[in-house]
This record gives sequence, structure tokens and C-alpha cells, in this order.
Amino acid sequence: MPVPVAPRRPWRIAGVLAACGLAALVLAPLQAAVHPPKLQYQMTTLPNGLRVILSEDHSTPIVHVSLWYHVGSKNERPGRTGFAHLFEHMMFKGSKNVEPESHTSIIAGVGGRSNAYTTEDETVFWQTLPAHFMPLALWMEADRMATLRVDETAFRREREVVKEERRMRIENQPYGRLSEIIYDHAFTAHPYKHPTIGSMADLEAASIADVREFHDTYYVPENAVLTVVGDFDTAPTLQLITQYFGRIPKAARPVPRDIPKEPAQTRERRVTVEEAWPLPAVVVAYHVTYDGHPDSYPLHITSKILSDGQSARIPRSLVYEKRLALTAFGSGNITEDPNLFYAVAIVQPGRSPAEAEAALIAEFEKLKQEPVTGGELQRAKNQFARDYIVGRESNQDKALHLAHAAVIHNDITTADGEFEIFTNITTADVQRVARTYFNAANRVVIHILPKGTGSR
Amino acid sequence: MTGHLGGTGVPLRLWGLTVALAGLVTGLCVSVAGAQSAGLNWPSERPPRPLAAREVRFPPYEVRTLPNGLKVVVVLHHEQPAVTMRLLVGAGAAADPQGKGGTSNLVASLLDQGTTSRTAQQIADQIDSIGGALGTGSGSDLTFANVVVMKDSFGLAMDLLGDVVRNPAFSPDEIDRQKQQAVSALQVSANDPDYVASVVVERLVYGFHPYGLPGSGTEASISGITREDLQAFHKRYFVPNNMILGIVGDVTSEEAFAAADRVFGNWPRADVPAPAPTAPPPSTRRVVVIDKPDAVQTEIRIGQLAIPRKHPDYTAFDVAVKILGGEGANRLQRVLRSERGLTYGAEADTNAMKQAGAYVAETDTRTETTGEVLRLAIDEFGKLPRQRVFERELADAQAYLAGSFPLTIETPNEIATQVLNAVFYDLPMSDIPTYRERVQAVTPDDILRVSQRYIQPDRLSIVLVGNATFFLPQLRAVGFTDVEVIPLDQLDLTSPTLRRDQAPGARTGAGGPRTR
Repeated sequence: MPVPVAPRRPWRIAGVLAACGLAALVLAPLQAAVHPPKLQYQMTTLPNGLRVILSEDHSTPIVHVSLWYHVGSKNERPGRTGFAHLFEHMMFKGSKNVEPESHTSIIAGVGGRSNAYTTEDETVFWQTLPAHFMPLALWMEADRMATLRVDETAFRREREVVKEERRMRIENQPYGRLSEIIYDHAFTAHPYKHPTIGSMADLEAASIADVREFHDTYYVPENAVLTVVGDFDTAPTLQLITQYFGRIPKAARPVPRDIPKEPAQTRERRVTVEEAWPLPAVVVAYHVTYDGHPDSYPLHITSKILSDGQSARIPRSLVYEKRLALTAFGSGNITEDPNLFYAVAIVQPGRSPAEAEAALIAEFEKLKQEPVTGGELQRAKNQFARDYIVGRESNQDKALHLAHAAVIHNDITTADGEFEIFTNITTADVQRVARTYFNAANRVVIHILPKGTGSR
Repeated sequence: MTGHLGGTGVPLRLWGLTVALAGLVTGLCVSVAGAQSAGLNWPSERPPRPLAAREVRFPPYEVRTLPNGLKVVVVLHHEQPAVTMRLLVGAGAAADPQGKGGTSNLVASLLDQGTTSRTAQQIADQIDSIGGALGTGSGSDLTFANVVVMKDSFGLAMDLLGDVVRNPAFSPDEIDRQKQQAVSALQVSANDPDYVASVVVERLVYGFHPYGLPGSGTEASISGITREDLQAFHKRYFVPNNMILGIVGDVTSEEAFAAADRVFGNWPRADVPAPAPTAPPPSTRRVVVIDKPDAVQTEIRIGQLAIPRKHPDYTAFDVAVKILGGEGANRLQRVLRSERGLTYGAEADTNAMKQAGAYVAETDTRTETTGEVLRLAIDEFGKLPRQRVFERELADAQAYLAGSFPLTIETPNEIATQVLNAVFYDLPMSDIPTYRERVQAVTPDDILRVSQRYIQPDRLSIVLVGNATFFLPQLRAVGFTDVEVIPLDQLDLTSPTLRRDQAPGARTGAGGPRTR
């Protein structure tokens, strides 16, 4: 059974393994038969600025509808951390033609599922439902974009729900605060410093006026991308979308994009803290670039070389060979603004955090000193291809790649185009980005010790 | 938590092929004066009518049994060039030898750590270099190995799967490694209120029936497992007539069956010992508080013994539990979250397994509202056997369960899960296409009957993990006076009192003086 060690972030990627001559013997060349099919889609922009992506897939009689708003926790004002996510919850509090708390049950009542999530960069509302009910989902999304109800009692109650969510996800489970600790120490000015869930104090400070302002500012057509994937016909669907969403007026003012920049880090930061966790954790983090930057692709490949599978370098070294760590990985969290590449080891009893730190740093140094092998690179590309293929099975998967390309890259063609970029990465690219980013002055090292074992 | 092969089936999430954008997922959410509506002439209107309904058909699949008894399920799907293999062995933690909890778990974790012809590192190199993923694990009634690869590596992946399942080496070195991993993992789990609450409630519901003991074992039971124990478990249960192999994805039917025959066809069948017929104890009321003074929230579980998966009341009872706490209905969520903001989520589920089954509700709430939440939740348990459900409430639940059927057959693995479940639990294959009709046929009288039969509100097992000192007075205030309090570090699931190291004659009062 997987151990509930790690919070829910990219490192669920069950870490593992590395190198080896043997790899080359069994390589299935990626260029061979296996190539993912291209996504088929059409993109349109309505006069009010709403972008619409339609992708027909008639294999199952269902449709996925997602609405991405280009707003996340990095858009929050100081003193209002957690607000983007709290606001996401408020979108279920009813609109002019939809009763409070009924969105989910209306969708469920026709056999559909719906939910929403918030990240640093975006807020996503989605529903998957039997194909013939697709108009209902479109109509309900348009209704709450245009006419969200804002009620003080509902707001206060929902704030308590979000506080429970913070307790559940972050505060009450071992390692739940890991991400929060890393980001708090790695960032000084950019809002990535703050967790998406926010702080209890800031959640408490949020007001109903904030809710109205946030909706007016960010929940406008030009800040949204509507994606529909599944069993429908494009022409009549576009007509419906134009009918429901076209009547929402264009926003009166542009969406603000004034997000504070993170100044370059000039010297290594080292921190030791204590938490009530059973085993120590060690973090080695480096500031890296943003999603879509040419360096971001070799960094993704580096994540695979360090962490994907039991043969990847970090699990093989720290978990298998040295038996230093219960679990260990290193991967890039590549997002819209420059973020971190970080490695974590949960240290085995009887082993020291210092040993784990040295072993993690050694892996980063090795990437700089010598190129990865051709076999390792090919392995990483094959793993990437697998993720690419298996990650495009459902309509929801496809919608996610399409919307991500449109919202974060502002270029829909990257939904497919990145496959070629990855195919062409060389060992020199991997070494070059390692030398660019994995330097001591750019590093944050955090030791998190069990409470009472003495930080100094 | 023991991984049950429940409604949604065989655990397949071993490889986190994560689409990394995960953020905070709001659970079920579902007031007044529009934010933007000021000045906007937005029409009052009814929801749009649906389009013409599409036909829903369960996709084709094939099940064949090889001469040696191996059942092979093939689901073809050609949209993406990938193939998944899912091998289920019909024995898991419930078959662990007495006092050797964690055996099946350890067997599973050692399958890919070396065979008679490949080292652990060679296996990892091989599967990773082709861009595949291999995962193993165990649940109460099964042990499994799953592989996913791109289609051009299908043959190689089948060979590797055959090797790890048939010829594990169980080398002393690797056993030592995996034991250390298992013990360290337990150390983490033992501090996770969610895990602790789940294992304690199962222990209360199933008593000393094997389902009541954690599949991960305990530190003591793991250290007592020998290489011979692992080999014996493997020899006894890993036989073809005790296995199901699913092959799913972009292959042809001929390729799939030929590969199954090539890799497993020459494996002789053997007798498999039937599980010792032990019945779980009858339901009795027990309230256990696990004291974790630094908790900011209380994890709550409420459960009771019910019925195994293959039982004529299963469908009706599953719908009843969905009304209590499942998708499409969920009274607990409405009462605790939507109406009062007391929790992020509340749900109830039937965990119906081969020999027995239970239903368990779970929620969490801040320390200050623990008593209130427990009272409200227990009251909801009491209503089902007392009051007939409203037609409308039942209809909504049915609409969801029946209506969402096409959503459960979208990907090849979702399709395979349904077929594998039916084969694994020995259900009629006709259950799959008739699922919607069977759900729709459930009446309010059926719900009342199964609720009265299986829900006994005065005999529930109740577990709370949290800051006991703070919330105990709340429990008394809402009528829970007979409560056992156990400090987290004293918890011992193998003891009848759930406490470790009770000196003979010592009293078990919560912090009371010890008398001789």
C-alpha cells in the first residue's frame, strides 16, 4: 500500500531509479511505431473575449466541459492569501437562475460529475456528463459567470468549510505543511511564497466586498477559456455557446497582471525548523524558470532522470543503495511564473539529515559535472511519451492539455507541439540547464526535524 | 487502510502518472444579490432541455479460461498506443499467517525486487527504459501486479510480468530492505490521524477476523516474518487457477490471448487452501477515542458489519448507503457541510469484500465541534431504518447512479475494472449491462428493509482520533458516556483492549490510578 508520506503534489510520482548500461539493450526507440495521435480541435474567440476550444470525440456518449479562469493564488493581494480558492467555493452558492448549493446536485441528477480546483495560476470548474445534457452544463457555467449570488451567511459558512479543508489537508497530517514550509523560505516577494489554501488569519479577514470585487475583476469572459471535449457536434454547440456566453458583456477594464517579481537570490539560504512529524525531512531547492521557457523542457527531462521509476538516480541512490531515505525524489514544479526545482528526502531512522542533504546535493552536482548517458536520456523520453499517451485517455485529460496550452502558454498549439520539443532534447541541453540553475547561491536547504529533537 | 476491491475496484493508481497541475480540489459543493448582475439585463430562464439521448453500450470484452485455470480478460481499445496488464492473485492480507500480519504486503513489495534470473536493479532498468511502469501491492483479498507500457513493448512487458509473478527470488538482502521500508512507513502512518482512524474502525467492526487487522502489519509482526513465510505464501496462493489477468488497450485479441498462453500457459494448477471459516463478531456498541493532543481536527469514523459483495441485498444496500453518504445524495454532507460548515467533507461507503463487508462513514471537524458532529452524524444513521426515504431523494440517487454509467466506461482501464470486479467476485457477467436497471428497480420499501436489517444505530463502532482532553466533555454533553480513551502511543490493534503492554491485573481506566 502506498504510504501516505507525501502531500498531494507532483511527488506522488512514485519515485524511483537511474543510469545503466543495461538500459540501452532493451530500448524501444521512441521514433518507432508509437506516436501519440494529434488532438483534433477548433478554437474560437467570442466578441466579448471568451476563448472557446471544441474537440469532438465520439468514442463514448459523454462530454466534458471545463471553464478555466486565469486567476489563482498568485493574483491575491497581501493580507488575502487563500482568497482565490475561497472564491472558487463561492461559485457554488448560486446565480440568478440556479439555486444556492444546487450546482453539484443538478449535474449529479442527470448522471454527471462536477467539481473545481484552484492552483497558483488558475481556477478550473468542470463537469463531465452524459452527452445529451451538455447544454445544461454550458448554461449553468454562463449563469454563474454573469450573475453570481453573494450572500453574507453563505460566505461565512463557506469560510468555515475552507478552514476545515486547511486543517485536513495541511495541518493535521504528517508532512502536510511541507510545501508551505518550502515556499515560505524560498520566496520573498512573489506570491508563490504563500500556499494556495492561504492562512487562517487571512481567510478570517476576507470580506463579502472582496468576493464582489474578485468576481468583477477576474471572472470575466476575456479571462476565461471554455473547453468542451467529447461526443457533440461542433457547429450547433458553438451556437449554444454563443447564445449563453455571448450575452455576457465585455469587461469594463483590463484584467490586472501586476504580480510582484521575485528578485534573484544571491546567496544560499539554510533553514532548520521543527514539526511534529515522525521522521526528518530534508529539502534541497533551486530557483528555476517558468513554464514554456526553452529551459523548462530539459528541466522536465531532468525530473524524470532524477525521480521517475526505481531506476532513477535519486531513488536508486538514496532509497536503494544508501538506504538513507524512506522516500526521495527531485522534480521541477514548473508554473506560469518562475518556480522551484526541489528534491526531498524523508530520512530513515538512524540516518542523519546531513547525510541526506549531501547525497541530494551530490546528485545535482553530478548533473553539472558530466552529461547524463544516452540511455538515461532515451529512458526519460520514453517515460515522457508514456505520460503523454496515458495522460490523454479521457476527455478531461484532453481538455486539461488544451486549456493549459491556451491559458498558461497563450498558445493552443503547444498542446501537441511540445512532443517534438521533448523528442529533440540532447544530453548537452540537460547539462546546460543543470549548470544554469543548480548552483549554491541559487539554493535553499531546509532541514525539518521532529519536534523536540533540537533545531539550532 | 486495507485496500478493498470495492465498487470502484482494483487499485490501479500505483503509478502517479500525474498530470501535475493538481491544486486544491474542492469536494462536493453545490444566496443573494448578484456580484456582477448590477446593470446587467440577464434573463430569468429555465435550464435548457437535453438533446436527443445517445445509445449507451458496454464496450466489448472477452473472458477466457486457460486449461490451467488462469482467467484472462481482454478489453480492446485502440485510441492511444498503450497497453495495461493487471494481474490479480486471489489472496491478500486476510490470508496472512496468524501473527504474521504484513506478509502479503511484503510479498507484493518483493515481487519486483529480484527474480531467479533478474536483480531488482535489472527489473527497474528494464521497465523504466521502455518507458513503462510496474506496480505491485496487496489488499484484503488480493495481491496484484500492474504494468503499463507503450504498445510496441507489449511482449517484453508480458515476459517481465510473468517473471516477477512466477519467480520472485525473495533474496535476504531485499527482504531486509523492504522490511525496513515497511516499518518506517508504519512509523509515519502511526502519526497520521486519517490512517489511525481507519484501521481502528476496521478492527472494531471485524474484531479479530482477518479483515480487522491492518494489511500493513505491525512493527512486531513484520520483524517476525521470515523468508520461508514469504515463499510459502507465494507457493500456496500464486497459482494460475487463483489468478485473473487483465490485458487492456491497443492490442488484438489474438495477440493478447497468445501472450497470456505463452507466459502463463505452462504453469501447472494447484490446490488453493480455502480461507478458514471465521465469522466476524456480532455488532456491539463501542466508542474508542485515540488521544493525539497536538491534533487540530478530530478524525471520525462510524462503521458496522454488513454484507459481503456477493449478496442478494448488495445493490439495495449500496443505494441506501449512498443516500446516507454517497455521490448523488449524501445526507451527511448536507447536514454537516452545506447546512453548517462543520467539515470539508463527509461520506459513507460500503466496503463489501469476499467473506464479509461493512459500511463506514468518515468525516473530520475541528476539535471544538467534535461532539456536535458526532451527534448529528449518528442521528442520520438512525433515520434510515426509522423513516422511509422520500421518493424524490431516492430518485435523485438513482438518477446519478444509473445516469453516470456512461462515465464509468470512458477509458480502457475503467472498462476493465468493471469486468475484473465481476470475475473476481464471481458475479454474473450480466450484472454489468443490467446495472442501470437493477439500480432503478430499488424502491423506498427496499431501502427501508435493508436499512432495518443492516443498520443498528445502537450498535455502531465509533472512533475519534484527536485532542481527547478537549473534546471528551463535548461527547458526554451529547450523550456518549461509555468511552474508551487510548493515548496514540499506547495503541495496539492486536490487543483485545487495544492497549499495549497491559500488565496482568492492571485496570484500564482512562488515566485512573492503578490498583492491585
